[in-house]
Order: sequence, then C-alpha cells, then structure tokens
Amino acid sequence: MKILVTVKLVPDTNADKRIDPATKRLVRTGVETVLNPFDEYALEAALQLKEKLGGDSTVTVVTMAPETGKEVVRKALAMGADDAVMLSDPGCEGSDVYGTAYALAAAIKKTGFDLVLCGTQSTDAITGELPGALAEFLGVPGLTYVRKLDVDGTTLKAERETDVGYLKVSAPLPALISVTKSINEPRYPSLKGIMGAKKKTIAPLTLADLSLDRPVGSEGAKTELVALAEPPPRSKGKVVQVADGAEGARVIVDFLREKKLI
Amino acid sequence: MKNVIVFIEHTGGKPRRVALECATKAREIADALGGAVQAVVLGKESNAVAEQLKAYPIDKIHVGEDSDVDAYVVDPQVDYLEAVARAAGPSLILVPYTMIGRDVGSRLAARLGAGITADIVDLAVRDGRVNCVSPKLGGLTITTCTFKSEYGVAAIRPNSFKAQPSAGAGEVVTLTKPAGKAYVMKVDDEVVEAAGEVGVEESSIVVSGGRGVGGPEPFKTILKDLADALGGSVGASRAAVDAGWIPHSHQVGQTGKTISPQLYIAVGISGAIQHKVGMRTSGTIVAINKDGSVPIGEFADLLVVGDLFQIVPELTKAIKATAASHA
Repeated sequence: MKILVTVKLVPDTNADKRIDPATKRLVRTGVETVLNPFDEYALEAALQLKEKLGGDSTVTVVTMAPETGKEVVRKALAMGADDAVMLSDPGCEGSDVYGTAYALAAAIKKTGFDLVLCGTQSTDAITGELPGALAEFLGVPGLTYVRKLDVDGTTLKAERETDVGYLKVSAPLPALISVTKSINEPRYPSLKGIMGAKKKTIAPLTLADLSLDRPVGSEGAKTELVALAEPPPRSKGKVVQVADGAEGARVIVDFLREKKLI
Repeated sequence: MKNVIVFIEHTGGKPRRVALECATKAREIADALGGAVQAVVLGKESNAVAEQLKAYPIDKIHVGEDSDVDAYVVDPQVDYLEAVARAAGPSLILVPYTMIGRDVGSRLAARLGAGITADIVDLAVRDGRVNCVSPKLGGLTITTCTFKSEYGVAAIRPNSFKAQPSAGAGEVVTLTKPAGKAYVMKVDDEVVEAAGEVGVEESSIVVSGGRGVGGPEPFKTILKDLADALGGSVGASRAAVDAGWIPHSHQVGQTGKTISPQLYIAVGISGAIQHKVGMRTSGTIVAINKDGSVPIGEFADLLVVGDLFQIVPELTKAIKATAASHA
C-alpha cells in the first residue's frame, strides 16, 4: 500500500515570535523552522500502518516548501519515511488554502497513493482547512479529526472525534485522513534513522511538472490580505496573594461582580 | 457577492449558538451588500431547527431532513450547500469554525472555486467587499482579508458575535436531494461520552486545568463543579492532555483549540506561550496558581496566588450562593 503524508514547515512552536512593525512580517531570526507538530502524528500513523501491513507498503512525505526546507524534510525521513516529494517553486509563494490544496493535490496524484494522511492543522496558519480542500481536489472520500485508524489494504475503519465523543466510520480506499494528536505518540528519529535519511531520495517537483490548469501562488489566490494590525495589548492585571480558599473565592467573586460576569 | 448563506450546525434538535451568532451577523452583511440571508439546515430534526430559526433575521430557510446527512460524513452536506449556493449566485457563505464547519467549509470552497478565510472574529463590508478579520500566529497579528473570488467562505470563531432574535421573513423551503451521488464515508456508530456537554470552543465560560491540578481527578470533580456552577465547560493545557488526564478535545492552545470565551479561568496553568496563544483573546482572564511569578500573571486580569484545591471548591460554593440569591 502506498501511503502519502503531507507535511508543512513552520516556525518553531515554542519560540516566542514577533512581527516586525516595519515589514509586517514574522521575524524569522532566531526562530527555527520545524516540521509542523501535527504532521508528526500523521507520519507516525503512517509508519505504524506500514509496520503492520508489511509487504511492499511505503511511506512518502509530500511537502510544498522552498528548497531551503530540505533539511527539515530529512527529519521526516529520519523518523522512517521511505522518501519525499518536494514541490518547490517561486510560483507557489503567496498561495492561500485553495492554491496550496490545488497544487499539493496535483503533486499527490502524480506520485500516486492509496491513502493520504494529514495533520489536523498547522501551528502557524491554524486554519484546519487544508485536509478538506485536498480531499475534494483529489476526488476521494475524506475524514478529519481521526483519533484511531485501522486499514486492511482495501478499507479503513476510523474513530472521528466529535465534541461529545466520537463516530465510528468506515470507507473504501483510496481516501484521505487527518489525524489528531490523540492517535499516537510520534517516535524520535533513531541514530540509524538519521544516518539512513541522508541516503533517501527527496524528489524535486516544480509547477511545470504538474501542468496545472490554473495559477497558484499570489496570482491564483482567492483571498487577499488588505491589512495587518497589532492586537490590542493585554496588560498585566492584579496579583493577589490569598491566605486560604475562602479569601481566594471572595477575591474572585468580587472581581467577577465588578466585571459584571456574575 | 451579494447574498449571505449560513450553514446551521445543530445538535439535539437545537441550532448551536454559533449558528445563531452567524445568522444575526449575516443580516448586517447582507443588508450592506444589498442581498438576502439564507440558512441551510441539514440532517435529522432539521424541520424542528428551522422552526426555531424563524426568530432570527433570515429570509429563507432551506431544509434537508435527509437521513444520508447523518449516515455519511460531510459529503451530503457539501452537496446540499453547493446546490443552494449555485442557485443563490455569488455569495458569502458562513460556516462555524468548528470541526464540522471547517470540514464543510473547506470542501465547499474547493468545489465553488471560492476563497476561504478561517477563524474569523469580525466581518464588515467596505467598498462593497467583505472584510474578514482573524488573529494569526496565535494572536500576534490581526489580519484583514477579502475575497478575490465570486464566492467566499468564512469560518467564524464561536463567541465572536451576539446572537440576537429578530424575526425575518423566515420562508421555509424543502431541499431536493442532490441526484446521482453515491456516498462511502459511512458512519457505523455514534458514541456519546459526554452527553449534553458544550465544547470549549463554544462556551462563553471555560475553566481550564493544567499541570498544577496534579492528576485526572480534579477535572471530573472540582474543575467540573466550578464549570457547572458557572454554566461553562472544562478545558485543559497541553501538559494535562499529554499526561492523559483529559481528552485532547478539551485542549486549549497552539496544538489544541483557539478560543475567545467571555471568561477564562486558568487553574494551575503557568501560561507558557503554547497555551497563551489559544486563549489570549478571551474577554476576561482569571488565573489561580500557587506561584505568583508564573507567566500567566503577565496577561491575566487577575492572578490569585494560593492553593487551588482550597480556592476552587470555595469559589464554586460562592458562585452557587450568588446564583441562588439571584434566583
């Protein structure tokens, strides 16, 4: 079975980021680029499926990123993916959800797949809209927010999170699944994995290889940024040391009353 | 775009509050665009939900009480919405920024060649164009986006608008089932683990616990009791979820949910950047922590320094007493 995992390169989740007031862009200095943490769950799910299914199952990582992101893609290979496909093209710059999904879908179709696994969302854009749009462009059934997944080669069985529990869902392959962090605990790359990753293939793709029938990038974007503003400041409030529970409760109740919240 | 179409998410025979918030805002936007407000209600109990929508400023309520909507994941809903949108012509489509709304919205946008904006906290019409406001990079910057496409889909963060009843024309129209469709993503069973609970995204009050609560028990006892007394929901930090104390669906933060309740009470949460980005846009933030130097003190409106295991139960008692005196 051919399993594809989409990954995005994002600024480090734990870094305290800031916007340059002059350029209105994220200050990247000192902020490391990492694999989107949500995608590591998708990759781990893919690796576990491959291990379970055995045979000629493969895991391929697909990304749209500038060539400078190659070393980050190697981390996915070090975790155990067999190879990677990297769509790098200046024409992709400025893609919105629509363009990203459209171009990625073309790259995925070209690569071939039985199952596509995605993270739920990226930690930078946090739209959570890519998996749905991707499934639509691939023309396959899609299921998001999956916390448990089993695949037997021709069909999948999954548990999809809901606000009050979960749905048990089944579907034939090919399909697209996005997974939540409840699904597994991603592995760390082993030393052997890191060494082996250096020899694995990262196949380059450009937009010309995909022969798209519409532009992507800024030109093909369906949305346009008209303004960027600083958020209203959130200043330090009151700090009150209390002696016991009753005093703490009193302080909070008085505060909530003052704010007309109770 | 001229008309505004609102996808009505509903549960237990009632529209979710975010659907009513969107319907209320839709009126303002449609009036500014010179168009109509249409609502789409799908699946079981849709007719009952449509009756309740008549109290809101909607011109036309499309109803598709079709068992396929609940038997298969998302595709039937997208088909119905696509049909309504194509019949309405270039429109703004509002979906809630919830698990179901994101799914429906993203697929619909791909079908319609529409732009999609996510996690929208405000909408306005300027020079005939719809402006969508959304905090990005965890609230570091506030972006305003508009559509370059004929159709636009905006996914609205719950609690961004007020839901205000004001009856519209409320004409109910029964939708015809889209023809020639075969659905395969089949729902075999629905498992309800927390009946009647409102998700953290939609609650106007959230009581969250972190590492400081020390284990799974307080989430079911003292935090739950306080949330219940306030009419809110229980949330959690990454540390608590990673420790397995509470399911991921409750997680607030960069790798969980981004929420804007009116009141956020952080219990035993230090307020590291990963948590902060998920709740910094809350109306009022109250923190309870044994350590007065935790980062959350830098942006909470009130930090009470003391023993959470003493304060939280006392607070629940005090809230209940207040509620009783008002009753």
